Amino acid sequence: MGTSVQVTPLCGVYNENPLSYLVSIDGFNFLVDCGWNDHFDPSFLQPLARVASTIDAVLLAHPDTLHLGALPYAMKQLGLSAPVYSTEPVYRLGLLTMYDQYLSRKQVSDFDLFTLDDIDSAFQNVTRLTYSQNYHLFGKGEGIVIAPHVAGHLLGGTVWKITKDGEDVIYAVDFNHRKERLLNGTVLESFVRPAVLITDAYNALNNQPSRRQRDQEFLDVILKTLRGDGNVLLPVDTAGRVLELMLILEQYWTQHHLNYPIFFLTYVASSTIDYVKSFLEWMSDSIAKSFEHTRDNAFLLKHVTLLISKSELEKVPDGPKIVLASMASLEAGFSHDIFVEWATDAKNLVLFSERGQFATLARMLQADPPPKAVKVTMSKRVPLVGEELAAYEEEQERIKKEEALKASLSKEDEMKASRGSDNKLGDPMVIDTTTPPASSDVAVPHVGGHRDILIDGFVPPSTSVAPMFPFYENSSEWDDFGEVINPEDYVIKDEDMDQATMQVGDDLNGKLDEGAASLIFDTTPSKVISNELTVQVKCMLVYMDFEGRSDGRSIKSILSHVAPLKLVLVHGSAEATEHLKQHCLKHVCPHVYAPQIGETIDVTSDLCAYKVQLSEKLMSNVLFKKLGDYEVAWVDAEVGKTESGSLSLLPLSTPPPSHDTVFVGDIKMADFKQFLASKGIQVEFSGGALRCGEYVTLRKVGDASQKGGGAIIQQIVMEGPLCDEYYKIREYLYSQYYLL
Amino acid sequence: MASTGPPQSLKRPDSSLTREGDQLIITPLGAGNEVGRSCVYMSYKGKTILFDCGIHPAYSGMAALPYFDEIDPSTIDVLLVTHFHLDHAASLPYFLEKTTFKGRVFMTHATKAIYKLLLSDYVKVSKVSVEDMLYDEQDILRSMDKIEVIDFHQTLEVNGIRFWCYTAGHVLGAAMFMVDIAGVRVLYTGDYSREEDRHLRAAEIPQFSPDICIIESTYGVQLHQPRHVREKRFTDVIHSTISQGGRVLIPAFALGRAQELLLILDEYWSNHPELHNIPIYYASPLAKRCMAVYQTYINSMNERIRNQFANSNPFDFKHISPLKSIENFNDVGPSVVMASPSGLQSGLSRQLFDMWCSDKKNACVIPGYVVEGTLAKTIINEPKEVTLMNGLTAPLNMQVHYISFSAHADFAQTSTFLKELMPPNIILVHGEANEMGRLKQKLITQFADRNTKIISPKNCQSVEMYFNSEKMAKTIGRLAEKTPGVGETVSGLLVKKGFTYQIMAPDDLHVFSQLSTANVTQRITIPYTGAFGVIKHRLKQIYESVESLPDEESEVPAFRVHERVTVKHESEKHISLHWTSDPISDMVSDSIVALVLNISREIPKVVVESEAIKTEEENGKKAEKVIHALLVSLFGDVKLGENGNLVISVDGNVAHLDKQSGNVESENEGLKERVRVAFQRIQNAVKPIPLSVS
Repeated sequence: MGTSVQVTPLCGVYNENPLSYLVSIDGFNFLVDCGWNDHFDPSFLQPLARVASTIDAVLLAHPDTLHLGALPYAMKQLGLSAPVYSTEPVYRLGLLTMYDQYLSRKQVSDFDLFTLDDIDSAFQNVTRLTYSQNYHLFGKGEGIVIAPHVAGHLLGGTVWKITKDGEDVIYAVDFNHRKERLLNGTVLESFVRPAVLITDAYNALNNQPSRRQRDQEFLDVILKTLRGDGNVLLPVDTAGRVLELMLILEQYWTQHHLNYPIFFLTYVASSTIDYVKSFLEWMSDSIAKSFEHTRDNAFLLKHVTLLISKSELEKVPDGPKIVLASMASLEAGFSHDIFVEWATDAKNLVLFSERGQFATLARMLQADPPPKAVKVTMSKRVPLVGEELAAYEEEQERIKKEEALKASLSKEDEMKASRGSDNKLGDPMVIDTTTPPASSDVAVPHVGGHRDILIDGFVPPSTSVAPMFPFYENSSEWDDFGEVINPEDYVIKDEDMDQATMQVGDDLNGKLDEGAASLIFDTTPSKVISNELTVQVKCMLVYMDFEGRSDGRSIKSILSHVAPLKLVLVHGSAEATEHLKQHCLKHVCPHVYAPQIGETIDVTSDLCAYKVQLSEKLMSNVLFKKLGDYEVAWVDAEVGKTESGSLSLLPLSTPPPSHDTVFVGDIKMADFKQFLASKGIQVEFSGGALRCGEYVTLRKVGDASQKGGGAIIQQIVMEGPLCDEYYKIREYLYSQYYLL
Repeated sequence: MASTGPPQSLKRPDSSLTREGDQLIITPLGAGNEVGRSCVYMSYKGKTILFDCGIHPAYSGMAALPYFDEIDPSTIDVLLVTHFHLDHAASLPYFLEKTTFKGRVFMTHATKAIYKLLLSDYVKVSKVSVEDMLYDEQDILRSMDKIEVIDFHQTLEVNGIRFWCYTAGHVLGAAMFMVDIAGVRVLYTGDYSREEDRHLRAAEIPQFSPDICIIESTYGVQLHQPRHVREKRFTDVIHSTISQGGRVLIPAFALGRAQELLLILDEYWSNHPELHNIPIYYASPLAKRCMAVYQTYINSMNERIRNQFANSNPFDFKHISPLKSIENFNDVGPSVVMASPSGLQSGLSRQLFDMWCSDKKNACVIPGYVVEGTLAKTIINEPKEVTLMNGLTAPLNMQVHYISFSAHADFAQTSTFLKELMPPNIILVHGEANEMGRLKQKLITQFADRNTKIISPKNCQSVEMYFNSEKMAKTIGRLAEKTPGVGETVSGLLVKKGFTYQIMAPDDLHVFSQLSTANVTQRITIPYTGAFGVIKHRLKQIYESVESLPDEESEVPAFRVHERVTVKHESEKHISLHWTSDPISDMVSDSIVALVLNISREIPKVVVESEAIKTEEENGKKAEKVIHALLVSLFGDVKLGENGNLVISVDGNVAHLDKQSGNVESENEGLKERVRVAFQRIQNAVKPIPLSVS
């Protein structure tokens, strides 16, 4: 019997929520992808929390938040401790993406879901594989082989192939069959007839214009804005699609000798590009080739300036410029700040290169017609001063004493209990008692840092209006001394410093950018101040699809080519999922599943199989006929047993029973027409049939695109009067097949 | 299992295929009992692989090539190049462009990038006459388009040959290739080192043990000193020489080890400020060009260098300046010069050597393996005098130090590597005959208890082995709904792809493979004006089964012959035949057509009833006669024995055939089998076609 396969979506079905699925193969639980979105809403992870401890291995497909964002949180809070597998770029760029997310968040909120340390430790047990490396799992997963394959879309993007006993389970989401500047197209099409294919319906309803046309429009609209003295903002991801965009711009700028400045602004911009430079072997053939021939690294960017803090951008003289800034959702990060500044000027352009995540500012702005005005929250991190600082220090003292007290009392179980009960303080209480808490003398007032605007937290700014949308719950509480702060944050930050310095040369390879470093090393107590304001959106808003995913039509044709025995659809709006499901039921295979969250579906193949040994005696009498990659023969054999007790096939001792002749082969009418023509027979198509010579007609009946996927048994009807030609044509027709 | 035969030509792919598919042949075309021109040929089950394609650095022109004449290049499926060194890759442009080779070539990314630079340089530098040139710059460029890249651990499959590579640690991008053909694994190490150094990782130990390990034996039974000792000796020699006002010449190959030495020197200079006024020159524009490659493929290097890389580029040397040529060299005081070639054959290193060799203050440090037949090898033995390039002799007064930094495995590494892998067969290549012989002896004693074969073939000497690979097939789909017991029959399509076999029902073919099956329905119309009943009547005399069909939908009279062909009376003037193609049906239809044509041509004859009703007995007798006649024609001497058995004697062997059961008894197995098969086939032919096909 076949290998048992179950799929349970944990997040991201019938909608565009982050991706996270549980695939268990003969009891070995794979978590494929561990995504989160830019809202970082822990409620998404509830299904994951329930199963996290049972997971045996984690496979990551792409280096973006939607595919791996929840990894640090799950590792720290949900008890996920399985080894993680990914490609080298997914590991590296995923790490940088998470840094960028964290730093962007930390700048504008008391972000405490995970820390930089958590990110590092989550990524520490990642095993890096190369494309088409067959990695044999051991222990519980003995017999399972996993292999990453090229997916396109993002650098290092992976289609996972999980094989057990010759049956393939393929996880392919967000793939791109088109070859781009940066990446090769996916190799998904080279897999045929896998037992199970898990894929997404995200783009099932979208169709794209040709790449050339799209590129041209993209450049046109940018140049128009620049020539009109406007600025262009491209909200981008940290280390994914932005690379392709940079290559497009870089190439165009070089070709046309343009000198409008281009800036790439994320907290990790320079390290991103440094690492990307060393990932040439993961990129497209043309990039590799140009390097081999001229030693020009495509990411030695001549026109793009890398920035890691907004103050650097502010130093740039005024004038039209392009800024590629993270996050693509406009929810946080530099893109958010720049948008607020630039949106009010009609000369400017905000160009979205991907669909914004659901319910984010970017998605709102992509609506048609775009909103006239949006309300945004401007948040800033400012150092504590005066009373607040005093209060903080006092709090620190108190904590310190408490800690000391606890340490004297505590046994491990007590610690655990307090961790469990003390919800408000949350898990960050897990502090190594050997590490001294932030000593108050470090906390000297910090002046002139990266934020020089001080807003008095007690008085709401006059511009602020009632919080509407997007709504951030400012959970800060106030007591007699001011804002109640969560001291653990700072304690951990102190640890960060040690860790970070230690890790220079380790995980971060010392490449932490200054901006990031300033935040990490900044142990000054600080707080976040938010104010809401309404931004009049006067600038031009354009959305162009540079997501680098296959479009609906291609997805369908790829699926019908791959023709899996069972198909599982995930990730995509309800309509898209339903649409693709119906399509596939009709044209791909009869077993299409689109499970709900938490619903476990069994896609164990109903395939029966057993192994036999082919005896030498039998094989010496078998004459194979070659058909493309395959060799086919008819065998009649008797079952015997080998010494080891397994079945073996021996030649028959009795005369073989006769059997229906099998015509093996796939004939294309058009090809056959050519063939006949080359033999000097007049052929033409008329009324769906092939007329050969004067009298004979050939017809193909029964549509090949029936249920069951791929090619089914062809029915060819040959008609004609009794004549020489009839037999001649029949001869030719037979020659197209292998008769067995 | 293994034997070394006399050198034999391998140009017979077909004969070897038919002779024995299980024979695995390995032939070194170069690097057999020598160092240089690595090239190992391997063939198994009709698949052919060539490992490496180098030249011999001590020879020039055609003489430097491996023995390509021994093979037919057009039969080679895959060529795998382990690293960029000349003795492993330099005959590649020749092989790709000047021979009939049409297979695929693979190497790692870094190797490919450096390969081009290195060979272009080689072509420029080697000052041989035009006719001696093996290839030119254009050939190299063309070869680049044919070379495909493979990443470490990436598994590729070409023509049923699966292969992947491991880090070899020898130079940047160096790989060990594991090849898997039908379950037989062969590991070719190329040059490898199990020691991690300043920038490279140590060679990996493969996860799977190979059946055959083709391993380098450069250092034979020698042992390397620990790395830090060698480094200290190296820096000490240099330091003392320059502090005495001497000059240091380091002849080194431009790429590979040179980078390691430069890293050592640069670090030493940084730690010794007193040396800062002594210049270090590195005379290799080539190395400078390759720096971009070194900076890009940091992922192939070790953690140490990658961490350094994070802060600054470790290959951006602070104390080392490039030197273009001897003209630009201002030889005024102590200095350290690293120059190529490593063998002091010609070029800058030789020019400097000639200038400096007679002064005893100077020193020459030979940092790597030196090939037999080069000047560097000669001076290691410290002769009294040497011959200069201009033909004059000069006294050799300079000190010569041999401190090996070459990243080849020493005996300790080789033996632990093999102990871990435990390959049942070891083939030694890439080593001087003496070293190799010593290594072989030592390994034989070490693996004495394990029945390990250790072979060191000479060039063109084939090693032949036999592997009995068990062929396993997987029965799937409808055919496998029930696992059959012993004695039951299994009939279906055997589908082979690469080296995997599947057995399936014809209906499942399209499910489990990309192949599909088809049905061809034929309809032929024949002019016929006679009565329809006549045809039926006549057919009844030939065929057992002629059944009238209920003519519901067609509303014309019709009947079915032999349960296969439907004959319809379409109109007064036509009848039509319908059937599904299949040799038997085609034959039935042909006979009907012939019959119909006959009827329309002739007036119906008087039917001879008696002929039609033949008794079973007569039939049987006739069949027996036919069987006898056919057996005689096959075996010659066939006599009637007792109990109606036939006695067949061929060349003194006798077989008894029971005509009823088809059982054969004979002393001779071969004859027995032949008679049995022949009888079966005759019976099939003689017997009437069974009505129903099941």
